[in-house]
Amino acid sequence: MAAPRKAAVILKTVKKISVQFCPFESNVRSTREFLAMVGSEKARATNMNCEVTSIVKHDKSEPVVDVTYVDGERLLMKGAKLTSTEMLSAFQSRCTAKDTQTIAGGKK
Amino acid sequence: MKFIKNLQIFQHLFKTVFLLSNGNERNACEHVTSCRELKMAATLCAKLLPKQGWLPLSVSVRHGSKAVTRHRRPQHILKQKLLAVTEYIPPKRDAPPDAYPPKTKREQECTGLMLLIKEDLKKVFQDNKMIAVVQNNNSNAEDMLILRHRLHKHGITVKFFPNQVMRLFLSDSIYGSMAPLFIGPTVLFVSKEPKVREMLSTLRVSPHMTLLGACIDNTLLSVQGVVGYSKLPSMTVVQGELVSGLTMLTSHTVSVLQRHPGHLSALLQQYIKQQSPEAASEAKTESAT
Repeated sequence: MAAPRKAAVILKTVKKISVQFCPFESNVRSTREFLAMVGSEKARATNMNCEVTSIVKHDKSEPVVDVTYVDGERLLMKGAKLTSTEMLSAFQSRCTAKDTQTIAGGKK
Repeated sequence: MKFIKNLQIFQHLFKTVFLLSNGNERNACEHVTSCRELKMAATLCAKLLPKQGWLPLSVSVRHGSKAVTRHRRPQHILKQKLLAVTEYIPPKRDAPPDAYPPKTKREQECTGLMLLIKEDLKKVFQDNKMIAVVQNNNSNAEDMLILRHRLHKHGITVKFFPNQVMRLFLSDSIYGSMAPLFIGPTVLFVSKEPKVREMLSTLRVSPHMTLLGACIDNTLLSVQGVVGYSKLPSMTVVQGELVSGLTMLTSHTVSVLQRHPGHLSALLQQYIKQQSPEAASEAKTESAT
């Protein structure tokens, strides 16, 4: 798939990804797929410092993905009503934006 | 030959034109052999000599456009408009019933392989007391080997089953509520003895595995339940605690009785004294009221 390739390329600006969900709920499918894609070998290989943690709860809470970037920005995604592709595209767009910013800053 | 012939024709025509222009129509008519030639001459005349005092030669033959052409003839705008307005719009009919595949998904027929795997699953559920469901995001062969080695020491086996078959099996069996766990890449940890603590420690070391839930002794447990289960003391310890709690009173009396009888008598006297002042105080209160 093209999507993991992109994600694999640009995890460099990410410091930490924490995924929290309750597996007995019915709305977790997208979050779990997102976790599978982000936590894959290729993605992890791009940035070994980035931690991908998953927390499993049982309190009927909403599935939430919390991404912390290197420059301190946080991206919070509530995966209850989102598909995995939507989440991935949002995540990637932010990552590319950050990446271009850092590249531009470095060149200057 | 042809050139000469054409030249002759032209000469003939010009003569007719000349005659016509001079007003000698009769002579022109006589000079000409066919009607067609006359017409041609007339056109020539009209073009060559437009300004005459005479009546304009209204025998303007239209060579003009033919109806049937090799290219698409541009239609008159009015005709175009009319045709556009009165175009035929066919009534929309439904597609024949078997044209498209049915929207509702029919249940997939069980292939032989699926049945085999199902039976395997049944055995697994019967034999093993503890079945844990874990999601692995990324694990290379190395990680899997290490994990398997560690778990094998404690007698836990790692099993892979396809989610589809799993769901089929679960819907048939009593473990239906485990069905929502099986989404994405899942692995089953299966063991006869519920060795939860060792399993948890192994999972803590490997970051890519996430425990989703477990079925221990036919009871479905979440992650917190599993953790709590691990913290429970073993059966012997629990039984011992229960027994000791029950027998505490009786053991106390036994110990008192086993002491020296003088000790027992002194205790009993003390007890009576305690009882009597209470009785006396009660009697006083009764008499007072």
